[in-house]
Amino acid sequence: MELAVWHSFMSEFMLLDAETPATVEAVVEAVVRLSAFSEEQLLEMVSAGKLHEMFPFRPISGQSVPPDYVSEGELVEASALPLSREQRNALLEASLPAAERAKPRQGFSRSIRRPAGRKQPR
Amino acid sequence: MGSKPARRFVRYAPSKANKARVVDIRITDMTAADTIWWDSRIGPRHARITTRADRLWSWSMLLPMCNLVQLVKRRVCRSLVIWTRAGNRQFVRAGMSILIERYPYLDVAAPAGDSHFVWFISAADSGVLSAQFGVAEPPALGRIFLDNGVVLSQNGGFAGRIGLHAASAGGPSLLTVYVKCGLSRLPSAAPLPGSIRRKNDGRFFYADELVAEALASALDPAR
Repeated sequence: MELAVWHSFMSEFMLLDAETPATVEAVVEAVVRLSAFSEEQLLEMVSAGKLHEMFPFRPISGQSVPPDYVSEGELVEASALPLSREQRNALLEASLPAAERAKPRQGFSRSIRRPAGRKQPR
Repeated sequence: MGSKPARRFVRYAPSKANKARVVDIRITDMTAADTIWWDSRIGPRHARITTRADRLWSWSMLLPMCNLVQLVKRRVCRSLVIWTRAGNRQFVRAGMSILIERYPYLDVAAPAGDSHFVWFISAADSGVLSAQFGVAEPPALGRIFLDNGVVLSQNGGFAGRIGLHAASAGGPSLLTVYVKCGLSRLPSAAPLPGSIRRKNDGRFFYADELVAEALASALDPAR
């Protein structure tokens, strides 16, 4: 993963119950702490509503809720083929809150919804 | 003998109310917007259904958290959204899932390579889809979630092998769901792969190559 994407990813959070954005270091520390748990333990933690105890952040608020409905023509179906590194990075960027993604990134939306060079197997 | 063509994701699912009928579904990659929508429009309604294992899940937290944690573990997640057709002929989100690619295969007794791990899956409550979003026939998504994992595993070179853990919040009924879906249950006495730092609580399921192919073949007409 490109360092810039990773760093951007780490900067997208606010501390819960606080007015200030989380520092990258705090998020990294929490992620490393979480990574010591197994996937099953994390699943149980999330299901018990206890994720915030280990990861006291939330994405920066103020995001608008997308419309409930989308026409078929607007949906770009996911590829079932393995993704390239570029496509993975594009998807990681798409998982960032929209406000931070408002900065123009050429070809961004199409690369997310329809990764270039990958067509659905027929 | 030539290699088989790659499988697509399914585009039809059985109706939950009448399995003989099929409904349109589509599968897209998950973005932050999808998680915001789900947390705003579906999450609060699920939170009131106390029997749901996912009632406290926040997808806008899950998506970045899962990606980050797996990056630390040098793995990658694939996160998908399942859409279904509503009465207005447009599509509405009906399911969310996060799986991990190239995960240790749970059945360590079998000499096999890695697998994909189906980590978080959540289907919108059918009552909510009908009453709030005008979906006349909500889809049954249990097998579809698993099929997505199988197809990605097959196309990724892992022969369709998948694994998952049934959240304990889902109780015995969730175990029954996975058994009915055709998965094999890992015996509670079986060891887990060395990199999974946890004892086996008897709620792990998996599909080997043969089971995976059978599950995928059964859905081929829906692709």
